[in-house]
Amino acid sequence: MLKTTVVCFLASYALAFACELSQLKRRHALTRIISLLLAVAGLVAHTFYLLHRSKQAHLPPLLSSAHDWLLVVAWLAVLVYLFVTLADGELAMGLVIWPVILTLVITSRFVTDSPSYRLDYHRNWKMLHASMLGLGTTFVLLGFVLSLLYLWQHRRLKQRLMANGAVKLPNLELIERLNRWAILAAVPFQTFGIATGFGLSIFAKGGELPMTWTDPVVIGGAITGALMGVLFVWLLTQKRSPGRQVAMLTAWACGFLLVTMLGLQMLTAAVGMRSIHGSAPATTPEAAVEGRAP
Amino acid sequence: MNLLALYCTHQTTPLAIRERLAFATPERLVAAYARLKDRFPGTESVVLSTCNRVELYVARPSDAEPLTPPLLAQFLSEFHDLPLDEFVGELRAATGSEAVRHLFEVISSLDSMVLGEPQIVNQVREAYRVAEAQGSCGSMAHALFQGAIRTSSRVRTETRLAEGKVSIASVAVGDFAKSIFDHFADKLVLVIGAGEMAEETLRYLKDEGVCDIVVVNRSPERAAKVAAEWGGRTAPWSDLNKWLGQADVIVSTTGADKPIVDAKLFKQVRTANPGRTAFILDLGAPRDFDTEVGKLDSVFLYDIDSLKKTCEENRKSRVREIDKARGIIDEETAKFMAEYYHRASGEVVSRLMQDWHGVSRDELDRLFNKLSHLNEKDREQIERTVERIVNKLLHPPLEALKVEAREGTPHGLINALKRLFGL
Repeated sequence: MLKTTVVCFLASYALAFACELSQLKRRHALTRIISLLLAVAGLVAHTFYLLHRSKQAHLPPLLSSAHDWLLVVAWLAVLVYLFVTLADGELAMGLVIWPVILTLVITSRFVTDSPSYRLDYHRNWKMLHASMLGLGTTFVLLGFVLSLLYLWQHRRLKQRLMANGAVKLPNLELIERLNRWAILAAVPFQTFGIATGFGLSIFAKGGELPMTWTDPVVIGGAITGALMGVLFVWLLTQKRSPGRQVAMLTAWACGFLLVTMLGLQMLTAAVGMRSIHGSAPATTPEAAVEGRAP
Repeated sequence: MNLLALYCTHQTTPLAIRERLAFATPERLVAAYARLKDRFPGTESVVLSTCNRVELYVARPSDAEPLTPPLLAQFLSEFHDLPLDEFVGELRAATGSEAVRHLFEVISSLDSMVLGEPQIVNQVREAYRVAEAQGSCGSMAHALFQGAIRTSSRVRTETRLAEGKVSIASVAVGDFAKSIFDHFADKLVLVIGAGEMAEETLRYLKDEGVCDIVVVNRSPERAAKVAAEWGGRTAPWSDLNKWLGQADVIVSTTGADKPIVDAKLFKQVRTANPGRTAFILDLGAPRDFDTEVGKLDSVFLYDIDSLKKTCEENRKSRVREIDKARGIIDEETAKFMAEYYHRASGEVVSRLMQDWHGVSRDELDRLFNKLSHLNEKDREQIERTVERIVNKLLHPPLEALKVEAREGTPHGLINALKRLFGL
């Protein structure tokens, strides 16, 4: 199997983002094609990297480490970007989503990448827990990106600015609808993910790291999850709320969730804080050999 | 090149004369082609008649007597039954490469009233199609109009001449309303007042699929007329607030001397739908909506001044592309002329080569008959040598012809070659 490194796809994504930025000045079909090719090349390298890690750890990427979990979320975000870009190449989605993807990939270098050998028990439940949180986070990320697009377009329309020929933004009505769906999809996934996490901790068996109520990742996850839940209920109960208000709330809530999640993962890895997700030591020496975080 | 373009446009001629010279109906156009054929047999012709221009392109073989502007003006006078002295001073003429350049500029929309507008391409295509259907196109007209279509396509793809909208209604709908709403079929459009600009805006909104239109006007007759024209319904002026509360798109063009809707009133009428987005196009002067209305959340208010600025910026950005477009037109005109001249001298070149190679072939046959001991390989060597000699001898005159053809049909050189080599 082709062995790739994080730098390979990080460089591809960074160049794709640079191409998107250059489109701001003058739209050119060639730059667009190069940008797409770079994104696809990055995605292929990204996929090989995750497969390689999975093979080495004998675990699915979602479960092996916080490093791999973040890379899976970034991988999903690149897929969404490619899908949207192929559907409508004129949309300026890349300008907003690439910084988020790059942040996820860079952050993954600063969180623990040691595989945690704790899959002796409840393997399926753990897989469900990680998948739900991964999907929920991807939808949160989408909601964040869509909210930023909404606020950008809203500002342009309020200030009566001429549409920049090089940047095409979706209309407000469409972004509002997609944003609502992103949140409505994110919250159930998040909630179910958190709930299964609590369940797994309560029913933890011997040899597993038990959950403590002072675990920063758990506390942060619970608070941001609750915040998203409030937003979810508010969206469902409001008959019709101003789009800008929804976008602002979504941007803040999703932004807060992403920052908290990434920040806490980095913090636990940096200070070696005891956390069920952040800094669990590898239980076999081989597991620690590959790709230790700097 | 025996090509003449006779034209009058919005830049040179008043509408009163243009409309009398226009070929307004398809029947008139067909009759014009028939009359042109009768009057000038063996002439290729294409008539371009739009609301902004009337243009005649006529071409004849190089050796035929050229048509002159007075002859064509006389034709127009007779066909339209219009005294010559009433319009002859308004006509412009261009011949040869200038006529080619003029057509290329027209189709590229450099000569249009709205710079970069797209309709002219279809109008020229249609004129060419009709001329072809009437059997009025020959090799010259085909080459000319196909070259024109190619040029316009290059101008549109390689420059930003057609980018950005330049009328207030088109900017309002195309740049702003479409950035707010995803679709218009389920939107309620309220028209307050019934001015011309409101109707223009309705045209753009209709193109986007608007179905539900309510016209509120102080004069019910005028409201009924506009509503009937655009498939809407009317409502009494007293119901204005009710419709203000429900509408998604509001177009206002009343002649009121002060704003008829302020922020307080608007907020009040929208209490039932507080989050509902409203796109307001205030085309009144003075304005019909207080500027504070635009500060409300979910309200996007545009007045003439704010849109004028966008129109002006778009117009300026189009103007900045003119030089680039002219560069492409110059290039395409030069290419067209070079191809034309090359075709004109092509016949002489091919006859000259045929003759010389014919002579060399005859002499070689004679030689091979005498030298029957030569094997196939030797014969081939001799044939190649003779062919090279002929080509080398022909090279200087043909090269001179090629160089001359870049500047125009090299009649003098062609005649000299014909006489010198008995072609």
